[in-house]
Amino acid sequence: MMASSKLAVFTVVFGVAYAVIYVISTEVNLPLLTYHPVIGEVDFLWTPERRGPAMYWYGWMLTSLFGALALGWIASAVPEPWVQRVILFVCLAAVAYLLFYTLALFIYDKATVELEFLKSRSLSVVAALVVAALVVAAAISFFAPAKWNQRLWPGWVCVVPIGALAVLAYYLTPYFTR
Amino acid sequence: MAFWTILLIIHGLLAVALLGAITHQAVSVWMPVRSKAGNFVTRFRAVPSTSYVMAIIVLYVVTFVMGAWIYTQYRFTSRLALEQLRFFKTVGVFEMKEHVATIGMILLPAYWAFWRQPLSEDYAAARKNVTLLLAIIVWANFLVGHIANNARGFGS
Repeated sequence: MMASSKLAVFTVVFGVAYAVIYVISTEVNLPLLTYHPVIGEVDFLWTPERRGPAMYWYGWMLTSLFGALALGWIASAVPEPWVQRVILFVCLAAVAYLLFYTLALFIYDKATVELEFLKSRSLSVVAALVVAALVVAAAISFFAPAKWNQRLWPGWVCVVPIGALAVLAYYLTPYFTR
Repeated sequence: MAFWTILLIIHGLLAVALLGAITHQAVSVWMPVRSKAGNFVTRFRAVPSTSYVMAIIVLYVVTFVMGAWIYTQYRFTSRLALEQLRFFKTVGVFEMKEHVATIGMILLPAYWAFWRQPLSEDYAAARKNVTLLLAIIVWANFLVGHIANNARGFGS
């Protein structure tokens, strides 16, 4: 089986990495710069608004750009099966985390006693969920058929951005429920 | 204000051109014509899809950059008005528009790689899927932009 071209590997990993970093940047608010449109000034990293609203979108894009370029470059330099394994692992971990967190909220709703810690996004709960998700993802990745990991699946460049859009849409639900 | 209105109109016209190009390509790659072109619909499907690639990339990038520029004005004029009028759903879909546009932008390198000549059979499925996703993104953003502008556009 022929390996994918370096260019294809770079572009696929760039798209996947950008989508993931962009979601994290928007959620945690990690802009590389802040733009103040009323006064037309740019600040490095995150700064609060000054005389009018602050815009972080450009900063999120820049953060994601540099992260994705670095990961794309690394991915095009390492063996292709490793890249495929890492992406599969991260995607499984993300899905597992989503399932665990949904399950935690379901138990919180159905429980007859108050289990506030399940609803909170405290570090310990998130850490437990992340560890559980990583274990599940590692187990599935380890037992995955070998042919799954021989080449980088180009479909990741569609699947991961669609997932990222779903998460971003979820974060915007307050606009539609107030 | 006239400057921003002109910029918005150019942004809209570029979006129309992009919409036409990506729709043509998506239809031709998902429903290719096997026989000689006949009626309008068949001819619409019969375009050479590879010839659209660079035009789509250039149009997307230019439309995106213009949109990102206009966005600075929107942020402290139209958006504030929309919030004061409690048009939160309109603000929400416009927030989604910026994310969707970004995701479309990051698909372009892979889109270009998959459509490079000679076309690789290995990427046939990925080529079709990325083209379709890009078409959906362009359509979604075009409609959202139109709705947001109707709600509280420049000059209103």
